[in-house]
Amino acid sequence: MKKLAYLLFSVASISTLILTSVSMAAETGSALKSDNMRVEPFADAKLSGSFNRGDSLDILNKQGAWLQVKTKNNTGWVRLLSVKRGAPSAAGNQTAGVLAAASGRAGTGQIVSTTGIRGLSEEELKAAKFNAADIKTLESYTLSAEQGKKFAASGGLKPIAFSNISAAQGDAK
Amino acid sequence: MSISTRISIKNLNQKNLIMTALVTCLLGSASLTRAAFDFQGAIEGAVKDAVKKQIDPQAPASTTVPETPNAAASGTTTETAFNWKNPSQDEEIALGHEIAGNLLGAAPLVKNEALQKYVNSVGRWVASQSERPDLPWRFAVIESDDLNAFSAPGGYVMITKGLYRKLNNEAQLAGVLGHEIGHIVKKHQLKVLQKQQLLNIGAGILNDKLAKGNNLISKAIGSGAEISARSLDKSAEYEADRLGVSYATRAGYEPFGLADVLQTLGQTSKNDGSVALLFKTHPLPDDRLTALGDAVGNRLDNIKNGKTLENRFYILKN
Repeated sequence: MKKLAYLLFSVASISTLILTSVSMAAETGSALKSDNMRVEPFADAKLSGSFNRGDSLDILNKQGAWLQVKTKNNTGWVRLLSVKRGAPSAAGNQTAGVLAAASGRAGTGQIVSTTGIRGLSEEELKAAKFNAADIKTLESYTLSAEQGKKFAASGGLKPIAFSNISAAQGDAK
Repeated sequence: MSISTRISIKNLNQKNLIMTALVTCLLGSASLTRAAFDFQGAIEGAVKDAVKKQIDPQAPASTTVPETPNAAASGTTTETAFNWKNPSQDEEIALGHEIAGNLLGAAPLVKNEALQKYVNSVGRWVASQSERPDLPWRFAVIESDDLNAFSAPGGYVMITKGLYRKLNNEAQLAGVLGHEIGHIVKKHQLKVLQKQQLLNIGAGILNDKLAKGNNLISKAIGSGAEISARSLDKSAEYEADRLGVSYATRAGYEPFGLADVLQTLGQTSKNDGSVALLFKTHPLPDDRLTALGDAVGNRLDNIKNGKTLENRFYILKN
C-alpha cells in the first residue's frame, strides 16, 4: 500500500516535471502551414499526427518553441510558428481585405481618410514639416553601449551566442 | 530646413523620379521597386546606362558622378555635397536626421521622458547585438494611434504609441525594435535612396538650376515624410524579421517576441484604419509568420532561458 502510494506520487511528480509548460485556457487557432504533430515538444519525439494548412486547431499549452494543439483527430506538439492564434473569423478578414481591394476600397489613402482614427496617412506624412525641437529631444536620449549593457544586466539579461537566422533554403521571398 | 526646398522639388515635376522608399514597418504589398523606377520617356535607357556605370565599382574611374553644385549652408544640415555613390556614416546619419525630423512633424514625440528612456535602453541593448553596434542608436515612441514602426538611416527608430500599447513585455518591444534595427543595419532604405539619386544625377536633375543653394538631402527625400509611407521590397521585410528575432535572441530575450506582435497584428481587422499604412507597406502578418517559421526551423528549439521581463515593462497610462 505504501509502495503504491509512492508509485502514484512518483508518477505525479514526473508528470509535473514533463508538463512545466504554461497552462493556457484552450485558445482557437489555425494552421499557417501543413506540419507534423509530436508526442512531446522535441524535434525527435514520435509523431502523433499531422494537419494541413488552414486546419482549425485548439491551442492547449505552450512550452518554449512549441505549442500543444488539438486537431479534430489528434493531439500533439508543433513549433509555434506553424500556428496562427485567434478565431478563424480573424482569418476571414483576409477575404474581406481581398474584396475591399477588388472594389477599390483598399486603394491609396481611402481607408485612412474614411476613419476617424488619428493615424499616419500618406497625406499626413507628405504634409509633415521638419520638427526641429523634437528631433533634438530625441537625439538627446541617445545612450552609449555601456549604458545599454548596464540596463540589460539590471534585468538579468545575458547575451548568448547565436548566429543570424538565414532565409529558408530555396526561399525566394 | 527651408520650405522652399521642397517646393522647388515639386516644381521640378519629377515626382515619380524622386519617389523613394523608406521606412518600414509592418505590412503592405505595394511594389516599391516598380513605383520607384517608373520612368517615362526616352531618357530611360540612357539614364540606366549612366547609372550602371556609376554604381558598378568595376567601371572605369573616369566615369565620375556629375557633382551637384554645392549647396550653400542654408539648411539645417551642413553638408555641401552628398556622396550618393558611397555615403559616409556621417552622411547616412545626416540623412536619417532629416527623415526622422520630418516624420516627427507628422507624429511628434510622446512627451514622457521615462517612456522614451526605457525604449532607448531596450533598443540600445538590442542594437549592440547587431553588426553595427557603433552607430548612435536612438529610439522614440511617437504620437499616433496607428500600429506601425519606422526606421531611418543612421540609427533612427520610431514606434507608434498605438503599437506600443499592444505590447505586453520587453521581449516583444525588443523584437519590434530589432526588426527596425535590421533595416538600418542592412541599409535597406539608404540603398533605395542611393539608387534613386544616382538615377537623378544621371538624368541631370540634380544639376538643375533650381537645385542650387538648396539642401541636397531634403531634395533627395521629397515632400515631408512621404518617404516614410513607402514600401521596401518584401524580401527586405522578411530579412528584417529574421534579423529582429536574431538580435533579440542574442540579447537574452525570449525569441518569440516579434512573432507575438505579428500574431497580434494578424488578428487586427484589415479594415481597421490603424493598420492601413502598415498593411500597405508590408507583407501580411500571416505571410511573415510563415516565412519566419520556415527560416527558423529548429534553430530556436534549444533557446531555454530567454527573458520576457513583463515585470519591468513600462506601461503607458494614457
